[in-house]
Amino acid sequence: MTDQYTLTLGAKLLLWGFPLALVILVVAETLLDTWWREPKQ
Amino acid sequence: MTAVEGSTLTTVAVVMVAYLGVLIFIAWRASRRTHGGEDFHLAGRSLGAWSAGISSTASSESGWVTLGAVGMTFTHGISGLWYAPGCLLGYLVNVYIVAPRLRAISATQGSVTLTDVITRRWGDPRNVLRVTATTIILICMMGYVAAQMTAAGKAFSSSLGFEGRSGYLLGVVIGAAVIILVTSLGGFRAVAWTDLFQGLLVAAALIALPLYAVARFGGFGALIQGLGAISPNLLTAGGDRIGPALWGFVIGQLGIGLGYPGMPHVITRYMATRNDREVQRLQMIVMFWGVAVFYGAGLVGLVGRVMMPDLADGEQALMAIALELVHPVLAGLLLAAVISAIPPQSHPSSWWRHQPFHTTSSRKLWGRSATIVAAWCSAAGRSRSSV
Repeated sequence: MTDQYTLTLGAKLLLWGFPLALVILVVAETLLDTWWREPKQ
Repeated sequence: MTAVEGSTLTTVAVVMVAYLGVLIFIAWRASRRTHGGEDFHLAGRSLGAWSAGISSTASSESGWVTLGAVGMTFTHGISGLWYAPGCLLGYLVNVYIVAPRLRAISATQGSVTLTDVITRRWGDPRNVLRVTATTIILICMMGYVAAQMTAAGKAFSSSLGFEGRSGYLLGVVIGAAVIILVTSLGGFRAVAWTDLFQGLLVAAALIALPLYAVARFGGFGALIQGLGAISPNLLTAGGDRIGPALWGFVIGQLGIGLGYPGMPHVITRYMATRNDREVQRLQMIVMFWGVAVFYGAGLVGLVGRVMMPDLADGEQALMAIALELVHPVLAGLLLAAVISAIPPQSHPSSWWRHQPFHTTSSRKLWGRSATIVAAWCSAAGRSRSSV
């Protein structure tokens, strides 16, 4: 039987967690700017 | 790099020449819309979110993202990715803090260069600030442009089949000639447009190639198993480092981001943005581009490590994978993407003093002259370096 390798938690955060969190943050900030801070016409 | 057939190299060379032709065509189109000093230096403050955003990021990621960043993960595995958070934090500071403020203050002052912004903001009756800032920018940028000339020399000589020292020198001269032509012909608008084209090409290459390669492997699971079989350390966030060595490595990589707000050729793009609304759109474009490019480059390195573990130079992984997996025409485009990261940064928009020139045509003429002198000085310096 061959070894099964997995990413450590730190590697998962570095590879997936950080970019995902950043994208969510940027999208949320843009939505806030568009819908909340600007008065509706 | 793996052995490549002559016909493949010929195809790659033809695509490269066509690519250079496209750059010069874009510059010619830009030149037809450039009519005066502010137009030459800041594209008449008319850039939209895409051209200002992508051109700013494309110019900040010189050859290192397609070569160095790829080599980092090829060598260190997942732990080589620490540069990505560092760079992206730098992007955050640039687009959310620097960009809106710099655009507003430069538009209010009517400043077209960074030195103008600084001297008008704080006052400079004896020109001490102006001379100091211009000297710092000039010295740093000459070294930076010279490094791009070295990369251009190596890239052109290897892709076009030039050999030896004379081949390298020819590569430097071709690179300098194209950069000078593009920059002096169309000014800042040509630089922004060509950078937009190049930035999109780099992003497409760094997204499509690793995804295609991973699919050929059999998915991310197969990639993880391949890396683990080489060394389990390639699958951790710290690699084989422990204690102070680990912290030093991580802090050093995160520290890359500190340089972004100080890059004059990058933040000048924000001054040329049309209005606040475009700056707001630019923020999301820049952040998405950054995530795609930095993580795409990292993925290329990881794929390369499994596909070609014996590759002598990990920084060549992008081209090696392209030549192995895709048609020569696509490989040529990918090499063009690598060279795309060598931008025409010799444009004087970040440092030129515009006050002594009272007419817009004289500003444009002096801008062009400064561009040519700066670029040729850089090229001359690099032509003396060893291959």
